[in-house]
Amino acid sequence: MFYAPACAECVAAQAKLRGAAKEAVRDLEWHEVNILDDLDRAVELGVMTLPSIAVDGELVFTSMPTATQLRTALVERNKGSR
Amino acid sequence: MFTIGKLASLTSVSNDTLRYYEDEGLVKPAGKSPAGYRLYDQDSARRIHFIKHAQHCGFTLAEIRELLVLRGRDRACCGDVRKRAIEKKLQIENKIRAMEAMSKALDQLIAECVNEAQPAKECTIIAALERANVSMSMQ
Repeated sequence: MFYAPACAECVAAQAKLRGAAKEAVRDLEWHEVNILDDLDRAVELGVMTLPSIAVDGELVFTSMPTATQLRTALVERNKGSR
Repeated sequence: MFTIGKLASLTSVSNDTLRYYEDEGLVKPAGKSPAGYRLYDQDSARRIHFIKHAQHCGFTLAEIRELLVLRGRDRACCGDVRKRAIEKKLQIENKIRAMEAMSKALDQLIAECVNEAQPAKECTIIAALERANVSMSMQ
């Protein structure tokens, strides 16, 4: 999840989204990346808005998803990758 | 209070631009003269300078309108503005990457075209662009 400390809604939603992601996929690795610490990585993925969420190197959400939307997207991707 | 002409000369923008800013809801006259002419105050001049600086940083007029709203909102904090500045930087960095890729593509085309005396019809740049058209239309 790409965020910036200046994005209060990103910071507020982190714990909830992290929980939803880990609940959706076992052994999931969740990273919270402060854009200001790794701008190059964000630009490489095409991040232009905050928050943005990439899964396996692909930008999946470019605005704040609900926990359900994130869970559903991860479950679907996980099914497809099996 | 200033007339539109005076404000235009103070801020180095044209009268038409000031009217456009008014249509876009960015600046509005503080009042009207008895003859019905627009009159502006110091705050109008400050807003015009703000708009110009923000444009230099790449913000669009729609984004500047949001910044002006934040500027005047009691509950807004610096983080709200900083988030927008970070997003603008991301957009600019993405554009820079895209332009760098274009520049590299042009480098290649320029390097491949070594015979400048060749007729334009046989030019390798034209041929390469035609091939690119074909491959794009087939996608």
